[in-house]
Amino acid sequence: MPFLGTALNTAGLLFLTHAVYSTHEHTATFAHTPLPLDITIELLVSILILSAGIVVSSPQLKPIQWAKWAGKIQRGGRHSEGKWTREGEEVLSEGDPYAFLGLDGGIGGKGEGRRGFWDVRGKRKEYAHWAKTGGKQ
Amino acid sequence: MAQANLLSPPSQIPPPVALQLSQKAPPILAAPPTSSLPWPLSLLFTRETPESWAIHENLFLASIRTGDDASARQILDRLTARFGEDNERIVTMHGIYEEALAKDDKALERIFEAYEKILRDDPTNFGVRKRRVAVLKSLGRTADAITALTVLVENSPIDAEAWAELSELYAGVGAWGQAIFSMEEVLLIMPNSWSAHAQVATLHYLSSPTSLPALSLALRHFARSVELNEYYLRGYYGLKLVAEKLIPLLSDSSSSNAKRNTDDDDVPPPNLASVKKLDELATSKLAEIVRQYGSGKKGWTGFDEAEVIAARELLDRK
Repeated sequence: MPFLGTALNTAGLLFLTHAVYSTHEHTATFAHTPLPLDITIELLVSILILSAGIVVSSPQLKPIQWAKWAGKIQRGGRHSEGKWTREGEEVLSEGDPYAFLGLDGGIGGKGEGRRGFWDVRGKRKEYAHWAKTGGKQ
Repeated sequence: MAQANLLSPPSQIPPPVALQLSQKAPPILAAPPTSSLPWPLSLLFTRETPESWAIHENLFLASIRTGDDASARQILDRLTARFGEDNERIVTMHGIYEEALAKDDKALERIFEAYEKILRDDPTNFGVRKRRVAVLKSLGRTADAITALTVLVENSPIDAEAWAELSELYAGVGAWGQAIFSMEEVLLIMPNSWSAHAQVATLHYLSSPTSLPALSLALRHFARSVELNEYYLRGYYGLKLVAEKLIPLLSDSSSSNAKRNTDDDDVPPPNLASVKKLDELATSKLAEIVRQYGSGKKGWTGFDEAEVIAARELLDRK
């Protein structure tokens, strides 16, 4: 699909440029004659191709129903969007917008939500214990 | 997600993942995002993005957690140089750093005093207020933590994070009524949050796992959570669990229905037929999730493995 979109866009832009250039040349040489039909057709066709290319190469639409959108996030998880930051971290697709409430682990869960109340000593202890016992779960 | 990510860290960070995250420190520390050129040029040739600071913050937390205090200090210094010492979030991060280095409860008490002092100068610093609650929790003074949090939510009643924490603290001491109230406040702020609905339902279920009104409310909230998210495993799991408990209760009570309606104040018990339908729906959805996750199809890998295993066990129980 990305190849098709790029091809359509390139072809459309070429035709459009050619049509515009032809119009300019025509009006420069025969100032008071109407534009030939083939230039008009080329212009319209190029715009059609270009529009089709833009639509084809646009990113996938998101579901507009809340439940479908949420379900897609839930079952697909976060995945790469093919972009990286300068530090080499992948830019991921959108995740659960309510993860910050830290409710996913249930009551007494060990999630990373509720950053404001982050239990720094507990987490350190947990890690130190893991490291001491030889890095096993 | 195979690789631990600092820009959007996973929702659960067990120690091995924390180690992976904190091992990313050296290259990031070696390349500061700010420009070293003098002022007007530094604006033109800067390489910093909002993402770089989010990464720095997450890296700070990961280094603190893995005991890599030297890296944490360096990151903190870099953030302080960029945003200034008086920035609320920087003040909070300094507090986290101090807490991590505190050797015993005495030292922690001193940090608590320091927080009090900061709050006397600037009572609007909510980051520090939350840290104060976290310290109280860490000291084991749950009752004090709850009191501090109630004051906090009184001053800022739209802070969903604080309400959620308050609910968790109440649930921890078994005060189910208060826990449910706090969670319902979260629902008022974020009515579309499927996880908040599931949490309210869980609290109702845990508060009295055999009474009809509590189970009906739990059923309602679980039903709402799967209405908001069509593949919410926890919602379907809870729905099935509650429905299975409700069906015998409802079929028993169908004869004495008239009497029951008078003592249950507001929520009429659900219809037996619709509970059976919900049970069937939950069963089929859970089976679909277990099957698709097991086949490892693309677009179905986002579930938590432990949750899928639990769902399979629930389905196999019959």
